[in-house]
Amino acid sequence: MNKSFLVIIFIAIVSFSIASTSVAQEAHKANSATDTELVSETSTHNVAHELPNPLMVIPFVILLIMIATGPILYPHFWEHQYPKVSVLLGSIVVYYYWFILHNTLSLLHTAAEYFSFIALLASLFYASGGIMIKVDRKATPFLNVAILLFGAIIANLIGTTGASMLLIRPFIKINQDRIKPYLIVFFIFIVSNIGGALTPIGDPPLFLGFLRGIDFFWFIEHIWYIWLPTIALILIIFYIFDSRNKEYKEGREYSGKIEFKGSKNLIYLAIILLAVFIDPNVMSWVPNLQPSPIGIREIIQFGVVILAIKTSDEKILKYNEFDAEPIREVAFLFIGIFATMIPALQLISHEANVLGDKLTVGMFFWSTGLLSGVLDNAPTYLNFLSAALGKFGLDVNTAADVKEFMNIDYIFLQAISVAAVFFGAMTYIGNGPNFMVKSIVERAGIEMPSFFAYVYRYSLPILIPVFILVWLVFYF
Amino acid sequence: MKTVKEVLTEDGTGLHYGNRVLLPFKVEILKIVIGTQIITDFSKNYDGAHVRVTDLYTEVYFYDYKNLSEQLSKYEVIKLVVVQEGEDIFDFDNHVPIELEIHGKHKLLIKKIPDDLLFFE
Repeated sequence: MNKSFLVIIFIAIVSFSIASTSVAQEAHKANSATDTELVSETSTHNVAHELPNPLMVIPFVILLIMIATGPILYPHFWEHQYPKVSVLLGSIVVYYYWFILHNTLSLLHTAAEYFSFIALLASLFYASGGIMIKVDRKATPFLNVAILLFGAIIANLIGTTGASMLLIRPFIKINQDRIKPYLIVFFIFIVSNIGGALTPIGDPPLFLGFLRGIDFFWFIEHIWYIWLPTIALILIIFYIFDSRNKEYKEGREYSGKIEFKGSKNLIYLAIILLAVFIDPNVMSWVPNLQPSPIGIREIIQFGVVILAIKTSDEKILKYNEFDAEPIREVAFLFIGIFATMIPALQLISHEANVLGDKLTVGMFFWSTGLLSGVLDNAPTYLNFLSAALGKFGLDVNTAADVKEFMNIDYIFLQAISVAAVFFGAMTYIGNGPNFMVKSIVERAGIEMPSFFAYVYRYSLPILIPVFILVWLVFYF
Repeated sequence: MKTVKEVLTEDGTGLHYGNRVLLPFKVEILKIVIGTQIITDFSKNYDGAHVRVTDLYTEVYFYDYKNLSEQLSKYEVIKLVVVQEGEDIFDFDNHVPIELEIHGKHKLLIKKIPDDLLFFE
């Protein structure tokens, strides 16, 4: 399974590299384009292209509907066929851009963003899979709040993926006598999403912003005072929920011990995090491998994947019941999501640019947020960032413009960043780790809410009121 | 014929062929977790798993799998909650959590689920 996954990634990289050889020629041709409706690409070259036909949003809509309904209405078909469905729907859009619009640049950038995304996620997944934390303590609402808060903080150091993989098992284990779906849902809210809003490592959208020129520490400086009350509020709600859960096993004794194993994999995590900064846009000495859709950073991170597969402790992997399926599922589904959402995001970006002054910071907050809940939040973030910069006549492809925007009109950048990260918790598909946590929990025999039940039982009644408060206080 | 508890004590083994496992005891199966699939409904003959208890063994067919040895990862096990035939199914003390590990071409290792493995009945 691991081998086939790596082979697929290798084939995809080679394919996109071949496709990208025509990019330079195309960029030259595109400079003389005379189309009336043009869309500016988020690229290192400022190239104009025809807007896609709105009908090309259909594959994306189909994929979203199938992700939501497949596991419930036709699980047999979905469980076996989701990779084919995802790749097929993605291929329709790839074909359209490649052979009809002749816009390989959009494909190349989407591929580059996909590989950055999956390299970070996969490396964190494999490295943290070889770490074992055992906590033998009695679960109390206070202890659970402390674990979730700890998870929210370390999500900013090892990513929401790393923090989720590291803490979900001990969190379940501590609560083994009183496990209920709400425990896992709050874990997804706080550790897998909202916690990671303070650094570019925390969540992939902020990472993409960092690559575009936003300072590493800009996020913590401008978001902490929104992050802190939001986390506090959700933890208070969690505490109320958890205090009502009185299911404890009589007579069980706890040693109070905390056991940690797999320190070698902590080194791997450190390598992954250091690799984040190894980018030609951040460090000038780093070689630029364009037109290859993967750079030095991704090579290092994929290297860590191989290293972790080869050297992680077998006993720990067995304890963690390590299985590549969750990351394989994310990798395949997000091939389709990244590809099919190219037209959707370009149309959104275009509309945002056209509407310009009419767009308020509140609109950016809600539109970025709501779309981040059902699309992947990373490219959604980038497109709204592009639209917000466009509103002020700035270019997302120019680092100086991004820096100007982050210092002068920071409230727009803040609203987009907060919304992209926070709203990722709205659905299982809002952020990569959500799916992984769900998968690990189900393997332990715990029934999780369906896609829709997650939204109407938890996201709508808990998150939306909190987000409305954030909007009223900061962006109304 | 051995009981499930005797098989667990003696590190007994079962068999696997394709999507079928054979267990060397007669039990009532209450729950199976395989991959992300949680199976508790054994009433259908087309969904999840089919269980058949014979005089000599208990067998389970997993409908969503063609070949367990190919589709389960190296560290993955099938988890079950079983009750020995003849014992009081309503007494939770008689519920035995076991794990089945694919081993080699057709051998199936049967073990009690360790306390530190995540599993919920």
